[in-house]
Amino acid sequence: MPSLPERKVGIVACSGEEIAEGTVTRLAALKVLHELRRGETVTICLPLFLAGGEGDRAFAKFHPTITVDGCDLKCAAHGTETYSGKPAASIVVSEIAAEHGIAGIEGRRCLNQAGQKAVELVAERLAALVDQLLGKRERPDAGASVETPAASVDSGVVGCSCGSGIPVKVLTIAGQSVEVVALPLIFDKLREARRVPSEAVAQDLLEMVKVYNYVRPETEASWREVLLREFAAHCERELSR
Amino acid sequence: MNDGKPRVVIVPCSGIGKAFGSVAREAGYELCDELRPNTTRLVALSKLVLGDEQARARVRQCPAITIDGCKLLCAAKLVKHNGGTIAREVAVLDAYRQHKEFKPDGIAELNAHGRQLARIMAEEIAEVVDELGRHAPSGGNHA
Repeated sequence: MPSLPERKVGIVACSGEEIAEGTVTRLAALKVLHELRRGETVTICLPLFLAGGEGDRAFAKFHPTITVDGCDLKCAAHGTETYSGKPAASIVVSEIAAEHGIAGIEGRRCLNQAGQKAVELVAERLAALVDQLLGKRERPDAGASVETPAASVDSGVVGCSCGSGIPVKVLTIAGQSVEVVALPLIFDKLREARRVPSEAVAQDLLEMVKVYNYVRPETEASWREVLLREFAAHCERELSR
Repeated sequence: MNDGKPRVVIVPCSGIGKAFGSVAREAGYELCDELRPNTTRLVALSKLVLGDEQARARVRQCPAITIDGCKLLCAAKLVKHNGGTIAREVAVLDAYRQHKEFKPDGIAELNAHGRQLARIMAEEIAEVVDELGRHAPSGGNHA
């Protein structure tokens, strides 16, 4: 069976322009993406959940996602949950600052010392949560519970998902229209492995799809049937090219 | 002083993946903190994603200028989505085409060219703000 499509941990920062804590979220997220967990993390601009396409909105369904907010409005956490998917974990700068006795974060354009200290602490917290989500270097002090099991990672470059989107395909399964996240990637992986439509492939296909999509147990047979049919059609299209 | 006139709302994009997004943010700060602190007000784009009532009221009651870092135009789309009226859509890519000598680089920390490009954009937008102020009625709703 081929390896599953690679999945990284998504980090969504509120980037709130109005307050210094918003700048902290942005710089902490960038520190994790570029330095602390480079190649294991990916990001997307929060507004794309509304302004982008369905692929952008699939971000948190595809990537286990950590949101980082500057204040208790929690725009990133609520926005991600409303338009993309429930975050695996959420943290708030003002809460972490309070935990560590950091007061007086200022300088939305150029952070003061307290703000820079907050960036370090928030980045460390994010990195620890990334490790938990990836199931490695387990750290009990991460400070927020996570809900997603391990995923495979690579050591690629820093990932910005803006405008690239997660491929999705809409299928009708058991009479319902369903948005199947990552299905085109899964089809490609199977074809790369030279798999052809068969009953055995149908089961593998279902297992791979279930990594990124919720499948109700009582509908599994319907999913298997539709996925196999779609994979066969996909293979025919590719062969006729 | 703004003589009781409504402030112009400035909405930069929150771009976090490219240097052009950082230029948009920097231009917003340069304008609102340095060039026109009394006649502009920055509104966080994340609040418009959330649908925060105060942010929505501001973009509905005051003229808005959006500053976008890429062709996806998130700031402009979100202001419209929340019922706001855009007085001017500004794109960093357009500014860069006009000032190719200032190639922005760096996201967390913009290079000098990026900051210069942001300064130029802020100066140009300040003129738009002034123009809007000349035509705005006094005593309107304040952002």
